Amino acid sequence: MENDHHQHHRHELNGDSTKPHAPKKPRLSLSSSFSSITEFEIRSEFSHHDPSIARINNGSFGCCPRSVTAAQMEWQTRFLAQPDAFYFNELKKGILHSRTIIKDLINADHVDEVSIVDNATTAAAIILQQIAWGFAGGKFRPGDAVLMLHYAYGSVKKSIEAYVTRAGGHVIEVPLPFPVNSEEEIISEFKKALERGKANGRKIRLAVIDHVTSMPCVVIPVKELVKICREEGVEQVFIDAAHGIGCTKVDMKEIGADYYASNLHKWFFCPPSIALLYCRKSPEILDLHHPVVSHEYGNGLAIESAWIGTRDYSPQLVVPSVVEFVNRFEGGIEGIKERNHEQVVKMGEMLANAWGTKLGCPPEMCASMIMIGLPTCLGISCEEDTMNLRTHLREQFGVEVPIYFRAPKNGETVSITGYARISHQVYNKEEDYIKFRNAVKQLVSDGFTCTLLSQ
Amino acid sequence: MDGGDEDQTKKKSRPINSIISWTEIREEFSHHHPSVARLNNGSFGCCPASVLAAHRSFHLRFLRHPDAFNLHSLPFALLRSRTLLKHLIHADHLDEIALVDNATTAAALVLHHISQNANAAASFVVVVLHCAFQAVKKSLHAYVTRAGGSVFEIQLPFPVRSRREIIAEFRKGLKRAKSLNLNGGKIRLAIIDHITSMPSFLIPVRELVEICRKEGVEQVFVDAAHALGTVPVDVKEIGADFYVSNLHKWFFCPPSVAVLYSRRSKNAPLPIESSMWTGTKRDYSAQLLVPAVMEFVNRFEGGIEGIMKRNHENVVEMGKMLAESWGTNLGSPPDMCASMIMVGLPSRLLRTHLRECFGVEVPIYHHPATATATATATARDGNDGESRPPRPWDKEDGVITGYARISHQVYNTVDDYHKFRDAIYKLLQEGKVCKQNAFEFDPMS
Repeated sequence: MENDHHQHHRHELNGDSTKPHAPKKPRLSLSSSFSSITEFEIRSEFSHHDPSIARINNGSFGCCPRSVTAAQMEWQTRFLAQPDAFYFNELKKGILHSRTIIKDLINADHVDEVSIVDNATTAAAIILQQIAWGFAGGKFRPGDAVLMLHYAYGSVKKSIEAYVTRAGGHVIEVPLPFPVNSEEEIISEFKKALERGKANGRKIRLAVIDHVTSMPCVVIPVKELVKICREEGVEQVFIDAAHGIGCTKVDMKEIGADYYASNLHKWFFCPPSIALLYCRKSPEILDLHHPVVSHEYGNGLAIESAWIGTRDYSPQLVVPSVVEFVNRFEGGIEGIKERNHEQVVKMGEMLANAWGTKLGCPPEMCASMIMIGLPTCLGISCEEDTMNLRTHLREQFGVEVPIYFRAPKNGETVSITGYARISHQVYNKEEDYIKFRNAVKQLVSDGFTCTLLSQ
Repeated sequence: MDGGDEDQTKKKSRPINSIISWTEIREEFSHHHPSVARLNNGSFGCCPASVLAAHRSFHLRFLRHPDAFNLHSLPFALLRSRTLLKHLIHADHLDEIALVDNATTAAALVLHHISQNANAAASFVVVVLHCAFQAVKKSLHAYVTRAGGSVFEIQLPFPVRSRREIIAEFRKGLKRAKSLNLNGGKIRLAIIDHITSMPSFLIPVRELVEICRKEGVEQVFVDAAHALGTVPVDVKEIGADFYVSNLHKWFFCPPSVAVLYSRRSKNAPLPIESSMWTGTKRDYSAQLLVPAVMEFVNRFEGGIEGIMKRNHENVVEMGKMLAESWGTNLGSPPDMCASMIMVGLPSRLLRTHLRECFGVEVPIYHHPATATATATATARDGNDGESRPPRPWDKEDGVITGYARISHQVYNTVDDYHKFRDAIYKLLQEGKVCKQNAFEFDPMS
């Protein structure tokens, strides 16, 4: 976004001190004369995106620039040309290289702590399998608890049910308010849930905490929650950060969790699928295994995950090319994150003002996505309405944006029941959000309601 | 549409002038490294350029507008692939057909399922072939042994002499497993390869599954990683509860995709869906290519059946040529192999050396010469009794302990096998031998 670049430079010239920190880590590749990627080059990198769609849903499927797709194809071609030689001579090296880069990105101590898996769902299955063995093997008592957030991702909830409830564990859900007004609200609910968890002398074996919830989208104060977990004797803490790297701050030593999983194909420009699973060095991690067992079983999770049978490992091998890509931007990945955050807040406020609604959380509790209330006259009254409205927006207006149904609570009369989750990534322009603004305005002025769609 | 999916799988004969030419085949595989004699289709398979193009096309459509692709195009494309596969393997119901990443994943899914449903109090027994794929054995350790179950391995003889021998040995082995009287002699699961990996030979699965049923084995899982595209597959006839075959080995798909058949019956459906391990927002492109593959194979005389037949004939012919040139033997009779065959090597030689110095890609199996091996069962070099010109290494009457597994796929030529033959000649003439412990462990076969 050109405006954005000029603003940034203006700030630097004026010695603006509102930016609290410069990028913390040294950039991974330095060039003596740095000229940042131009607007035109960004267009070109994402020219494969459907130009007729205002793509404001980076949160669901992410994006992958051309230069990274090209690198991916190169890896695939090398495999196809001579697969045996590739397996014996190139694959392991390539994955180790990716893991090493990731280790530096997340401020982990040792590359052994970094495994690459398909996505956060896989990571959850790995952690939960260990918990299930804990119950089966008698290490945990029946009724011991696993804690998760109410807004945990659907498939993770399913996994917790399959692995924990089945094995005799007790699952505690932390209810979270939405819309949310401050971090304190979340911390308070979390503390209450911990009390409930420990009732009757139960031990909480694992806390599963989202770093950035999906729907509705809120940045959770994980550092504080991890501290509380330690104080309250929670045995292990797993941060599910599907939206982690490239979206919010990811510093393993600062966050202090035992496990941390983040997708790289959402906000770190990798093609699907690739995710990082960080496991802090401890005796427990020897018992972590990838669910798909190969001949590498027993050689450590990172090695097991690097070979789970014949597959296309190219998404895991392009990390170096991604680093090259992000370093063409001012400030590298940190600069991208900051600008995404600024823009998504700015656009969110623009939309809320235009529609006369409000944001779902304060700006400091969002990263590169934000929830905006939709006008109540649209009549969103159930989950199905959100799916139908989303399809309607896609097909009639060329806007791609997910919608969240927020059920009214007891006693609430007029409340916003629908929130749109907008994302901002480097390929977005102000026009995308204006298109959305106008679409909703048109729906309102047409007297549109969701009941029309469910007929 | 071309008259429905069933027609597409049955389409066989085409007018002569529209059959794919050798030039076109070469073009389809022009991305293969030109200086390598690629005799190892069995490990990593191959994918023709036209299928790769379809793969790329799906991938780009996803990148272009992923939400729309996943919502609208993906379900239909997955359904098409699954429907075609259902016809190909003669399954009854569409919901018996699942697409997973590979046979390794399928094994983990099935074994996880078994271990979950095991009664914690009773010990349960799983029977597997001694030559089962290494990943499957590790999976047994991770899921069965760990959950308190026992694993019993059935030894099959190698070199293989006949179907009868395999059937008899399997029956003996199964009875021995039952006689251990773990869990009251009840066997929870038998895992049988359709085509073993290393050493490779074709197993009479239908007969073995029947024996399992007669002996009261609760469920049977057939690991048929190599089957689709090398042997006709009829899952109803085979009669197993679970059957998995990779599509990226012999069915021209890029990595990776496999078809997992779960017989609908008293089985509960697998409670751990593979999506719980993989997520659903992933790249499904490889799973969408079955229609493109059918188009490709139907350019060949006889379609996939013609390809299978010719691969088999050629690999047997090439195997015999090599065995005769080296004065060794084949690892199995011709009717007990599909598109791969084991050929005895005159001495112990390294796979890496063959790749790097001779441009030959072929996996080597080190067959332990055991004390129980009889003189007739253990083949010896240069002992074929026929008169032929003496070879420099005839002085050594070595026991054959190394076998090469050669494959044949549509892109292979006679020159590939000649290159291998001559590489071995050269190594022997140079007097190259390897110490036993220099043999590389080859988990990838």
